[in-house]
Amino acid sequence: MTAAETERDGVRAIEAGAVPARFARGWHCLGLSDRFKDGRPHTVTAFGAKLVVFRSGDGRLNVLDAYCRHMGGDLSRGTVKGDEIACPFHDWRWGGDGRCKKIPYARRVPLRARTSAWTTMDQDGMLFVWNDPEGNPPPPGVTIPRIAGATRDDWTDWVWHETLVAANCREVMDNVVDMAHFFYVHYSFPTYFKNVFEGHVATQIMKGLSRPDARPPAKEGRPGMLGNTSVAAYHGPSFMIDDLTYHYEGMDIDCVLINCHYPVDANSFMLQSGIIVQRNERLGGAGAEEMAVRLGDFILKGFEQDVEIWKNKARIDNPLLCEEDGPVYQLRRWYEQFYVDAADVTPEMVERFEFELDTTRPVEAWQKEVEENLARRAAARSSARDSAGGGTA
Amino acid sequence: MTVRPDERLLDGHPMLPVRCRTCGAGVQARKASWQQTSVQWSAEAVRTCRERRASVPGEGPNGGVFPACEALHASITQAALDGELPVPDDPGPGPPGTTDP
Repeated sequence: MTAAETERDGVRAIEAGAVPARFARGWHCLGLSDRFKDGRPHTVTAFGAKLVVFRSGDGRLNVLDAYCRHMGGDLSRGTVKGDEIACPFHDWRWGGDGRCKKIPYARRVPLRARTSAWTTMDQDGMLFVWNDPEGNPPPPGVTIPRIAGATRDDWTDWVWHETLVAANCREVMDNVVDMAHFFYVHYSFPTYFKNVFEGHVATQIMKGLSRPDARPPAKEGRPGMLGNTSVAAYHGPSFMIDDLTYHYEGMDIDCVLINCHYPVDANSFMLQSGIIVQRNERLGGAGAEEMAVRLGDFILKGFEQDVEIWKNKARIDNPLLCEEDGPVYQLRRWYEQFYVDAADVTPEMVERFEFELDTTRPVEAWQKEVEENLARRAAARSSARDSAGGGTA
Repeated sequence: MTVRPDERLLDGHPMLPVRCRTCGAGVQARKASWQQTSVQWSAEAVRTCRERRASVPGEGPNGGVFPACEALHASITQAALDGELPVPDDPGPGPPGTTDP
């Protein structure tokens, strides 16, 4: 449908441009770093390329384009030899800086023997790579904040999951501002919702209640869940840290949730979640570990709920919004800074913007819906009881 | 992708200038209701904001995020109460400090 037709018959057309041809500038997490430290090369498909990740003899984690510039061999099927990755095809040796260091059967390494290398960072148990289509190093101040709990004994280890999603990664970003989907897709109940965008950081502050209609009643002797308080921030285009507290009867549980991704290509991305839980007296023993595993599964279920929407939905550049929706356009304006050259980042992409949502009407509507669901559930239970009673009489 | 405008600003009230009554920082603000607030800062407003300059990073990995300026928030509410910043009529809760009919 053309715009002219839209004007004539009043039908709103969905508009969608092509997915971006480049990949975002910024730090991207490739997963827990330990899995790359076994002395073997690993294959990762990211940024539309095949990468090799390997730990060199000096202990550093390196990321290179996997295809050897000699004859195209796959370095990720090669062998780590000292500080270099050796190609399985002709044993050419490549260093973590992307330069060919040695060709065992040649007198000299030829000119231009250099391949793409990504700047890496091993921090708080995660491997990060800096992606920049212009090839510049990360500017000062563009960092991933430290997560104290990740290296402390009074917190659990990471529980980590990854899911390959067949969609452009912009879909996952929209969740930052999408309050209502948390009720309808994830069965949570937001009561407070605010966004702040500034510089390369996009924040979502959310408070929510537990949904009694969406979870089984608390087991005897177990504290019931009341709700949660969450401050979640994307530090750059792909790595979100969620400082998350679950409120239970008589106790709080503090978690840090990571929600991050890297683009595989323009039409798919690897969605990852990581969670650590702080130990406390009430959780006791392995309670925190069990909680981390349970929450990890819960987050994974949340991803599945999102994926079900994404794989069936249309890409839409002109969402039609009501006043109770969040700042989708302003979020996308912020997100655009990662897809243009650094010199083309405009002030409006990075200037501070705040949006506090009015949750009055959503809370009223959702309270009513929850009550109706509970009444329906109670009616179904009592009719099941009646018919069971009838059967045995 | 080109960045599109938020149609809510064209169909309803636009963002309007509001000045902080404490430090004079100038921002663009909008209220879709008494409880909803949008604030577009400029780099200069961020530099001018007294609370912002006095703020110290909080705890935790997101402690660097400055959540809000109380004085600016109060100034925006006051601008709405004074009618300088229009708030659409609706049956929702009224301005802070008033009782619902």
